[in-house]
Amino acid sequence: MWQGKGKTAIVGIGYSELVRQSQRPLGLLALDACRGAIADAGLSPQQIDGLATYPEAPFLGAGTRDGVDIVSVAWVINHLALAPDVRWYAQIETGMIAAPVIEGAHALMAGACDYVLIWRALHQPRSYGAFSGARAAGDAQFLAPWGCISVIQSHAMAWRRYMHQYGATREHLCTFVVNSRRNANLNPRAFFYTKPMTRDDYFAARLIAEPFCLFDCDVPIEGCVALVMTSTERARDLRHPPAYIAGHGLNTVSRPSLLYYTLDDYVACGQSLAGKLWSSASLGPDDMDAAELYDGFSPSTLYWLEAAGFCKRGEAYAFIQDGRIALEGELPVNTFGGSLSEGRLHGMGHIAEAVLQVTGRAERRQVPGAAAVCAIDGSPMLRGSGIVVTRDP
Amino acid sequence: MAAREKPIPVTDALSQPFWDAAKQHRLVIQRCGECRYYNHPPRPVCERCSSQRLEFATVSGRGTIYTFTVMHQPSVAGFEDEVPYINIVVELDEQPLLFMVSNLPHAEKDKIRIGGRVEVRFEERGPELVLPQFRAV
Repeated sequence: MWQGKGKTAIVGIGYSELVRQSQRPLGLLALDACRGAIADAGLSPQQIDGLATYPEAPFLGAGTRDGVDIVSVAWVINHLALAPDVRWYAQIETGMIAAPVIEGAHALMAGACDYVLIWRALHQPRSYGAFSGARAAGDAQFLAPWGCISVIQSHAMAWRRYMHQYGATREHLCTFVVNSRRNANLNPRAFFYTKPMTRDDYFAARLIAEPFCLFDCDVPIEGCVALVMTSTERARDLRHPPAYIAGHGLNTVSRPSLLYYTLDDYVACGQSLAGKLWSSASLGPDDMDAAELYDGFSPSTLYWLEAAGFCKRGEAYAFIQDGRIALEGELPVNTFGGSLSEGRLHGMGHIAEAVLQVTGRAERRQVPGAAAVCAIDGSPMLRGSGIVVTRDP
Repeated sequence: MAAREKPIPVTDALSQPFWDAAKQHRLVIQRCGECRYYNHPPRPVCERCSSQRLEFATVSGRGTIYTFTVMHQPSVAGFEDEVPYINIVVELDEQPLLFMVSNLPHAEKDKIRIGGRVEVRFEERGPELVLPQFRAV
């Protein structure tokens, strides 16, 4: 068990608007979310003395203009009236957004700072996901000339392989996507809050990369989610009940550098993370009251269900049927609608929802008595990070 | 607006032998001189044993379809006029998980299956560029 179990907590959550294309630059959306999270915790910006983010814009040809394409630690220091001397920060390059939360917990335990602000800001240029260059250098020279370089292709082909190996069909995957939408219809922040979806809607959607249709892909949105962390001692005096950090895991499996990653790579990488997650929290999949599992593309969540041991390899497509992952089911999954229906926040939406669930603040989506929820980010190939949050320390 | 050209590979010291051989309609893959492991894309050190003693070996050009997709929305500029286009991942016979990507003509869509056998052909895409492409056998 991790010696830090229950010693730190998430105490505030803030959202900017989550929209397809915002009229406001990303930096201002980030400030909205950061101010919101600080206020939600009942703190003032001047009390924030630690900062962490995972700033990468996750698409081909992404820009790096600060406050436009990304929002760095430096940008937030310049634009938010924080503590006069910020004592600690981390800007994570790999591992997704749970990694800064893990670093934040370590910094708080070490006494490096008192209150950590964490954010994830994403913008969406029109050319998202397309390789637009006339020349393909590096590994791209072995992919782009064949028109085969985007993440959707590798995910679609991994899922094709899954279908082939285990007998899953689009009908099975549809159940997951429709369940996520149903949850989003209870989440006022969700991009698809007011849009229900039937199975027929799913099968009527245009195909993007077979076997994926439009609704197997997360919704590219612009926006930011922020959260505030502090020590368990300080957390007790704040506005809302704290969500305690019970455990964490990072993916540290190294795979040979192949041209294309296989389904086995996805699950092996996920297992590396999940093993550490459960042992550090001294909890297991059976202890979770809900699971917020990354869904950049719909099957990612199924791979996580298998990698984290909620079911066996090759069984997730059957496991998710018959209402088992519904809000009122045995294991509610992506209770807020996930990236597929709330919008792509690269895992931060999953963490925020886990916090809301264990603190009894999930409103109409509340899983009664939720005491432990995991939030896991990543594809789960190559990079990923996850945490378990609990109602009690 | 004129149709965009497909991307042209920027060859480098590591990849030059691959592209030079393709011009002569030969498929070569980087191979480790120590442990005999094939590395693709070519690497500065062997992915398996970290040796720098790397050479290029002619391979059979035969393999199986490991997986595939049909693209209805192009992910690469220059493919706009080809949708829906097919991408396959080929596992070469020489080594498990030794992958290359390829296209297949759309007419072959109904014949694609995981495990289907393929063989290399060469597409002349311009005076300076020859692309290995696999076809069902």
